[in-house]
Amino acid sequence: MSGNKQETSSVVKQRWTSRSLGSSWGHQSFYLLIRCGGQQAAYLLLYCVVFYYTLLPSIRRKCDHYLSRRFPAAGWWQRFWNCYRMNLSLGEVLVDRALVGILGAERVEVKLHGKQELMDLIAEGNGVILVNAHIGCWQVAASVLDFVDTPINLLIQREEGDIDRHHFEHSGKECPYRIIDPRGHLGGVLEMLQVLKRGEVLSVMGDRMLGNDKNGVDVSFMGGTVTFPFSAYKLASATGAPIVALLSYKVGPNSYAIKISQTIKVPENLGRGKEKFIPYAQEYAEILEEFCAEHPFQFFNFFEMWQNKSVDT
Amino acid sequence: MSVKEKLKQVLIEDLNLEDVEPDEITDDMALFGEGLGLDSLDAVELVIIVQKHFGVEIKDMVESRPIFESINTLAAYIEANQP
Repeated sequence: MSGNKQETSSVVKQRWTSRSLGSSWGHQSFYLLIRCGGQQAAYLLLYCVVFYYTLLPSIRRKCDHYLSRRFPAAGWWQRFWNCYRMNLSLGEVLVDRALVGILGAERVEVKLHGKQELMDLIAEGNGVILVNAHIGCWQVAASVLDFVDTPINLLIQREEGDIDRHHFEHSGKECPYRIIDPRGHLGGVLEMLQVLKRGEVLSVMGDRMLGNDKNGVDVSFMGGTVTFPFSAYKLASATGAPIVALLSYKVGPNSYAIKISQTIKVPENLGRGKEKFIPYAQEYAEILEEFCAEHPFQFFNFFEMWQNKSVDT
Repeated sequence: MSVKEKLKQVLIEDLNLEDVEPDEITDDMALFGEGLGLDSLDAVELVIIVQKHFGVEIKDMVESRPIFESINTLAAYIEANQP
């Protein structure tokens, strides 16, 4: 059955996929180039591959959801160029991620801003919630978090059949983080609560709904309404864990920055209603919007996250 | 008041379950999903409720998954662990 209907957060279905573009041999070609010629060799191939993909209307449409809001006045050629730059940024991040995994973390320099603040928060013993987003490369950035002597737990969802590798998988090392699957029992909520009660670090994505999560709130973002998850703020309210917005971004050919942007203070015991958590999700949306203003091609959401359009259901 | 009765009452009060009376919650009704209709984040509230009203801390939440199934299982856990 189909019909035009205004979509609400309660019926938002997952419209994104983390499954990578390209075939397995394509990815293997990049890995081989990195082993033989390093980052520059892989980048040379990347420029061609990205140009090819940018020629495809389906790929440009995926970029356009975000780019048309970030650059509303751009004409056709500017949009094409912006799309190329956005795809190239993502490609570089993926190459760098593989580079770190294959040739070692020392191949990429990562500057951490806010290390002492993070250590102080961890030392408080209430656990810390790092809110990430699909920006920059959190995996490259996370490689500098080895000073954190408490376990880091990641809430991440991996698509079936995804051929893209995480950085630690290249070297056959054990995953340095504990993974919590949002498709698990009660969306992994009990595991997340557990790690915070142990005073550990929990990292979640603040810009996408994962799995069957229905715990989203509508917030304003770049001139439209998006649904962001509020689980992190609820957990913070229940446990007293501080929320830290973590931003990672590429600043040079071989360098990244990771920034502890700001701490979002959520009062304790706010209770059950989702509307109580809107201000904190909105605060995070504003942090992200500021990030997009500063790093317009390092925001990697290639789907229609704005819901103020009629859709077929 | 039995643990089960108190549990039903505090669930309604603390979770603001509108239009639900204690006697409508059966002992074996699923707390999440189709039964009482709680969602995953309500598990956080349940942990707090159990500690606040019964003085029982659920220490290993992963191992304790089965206790969140129904009033029966939650009450049994509380009775077994009350100070």
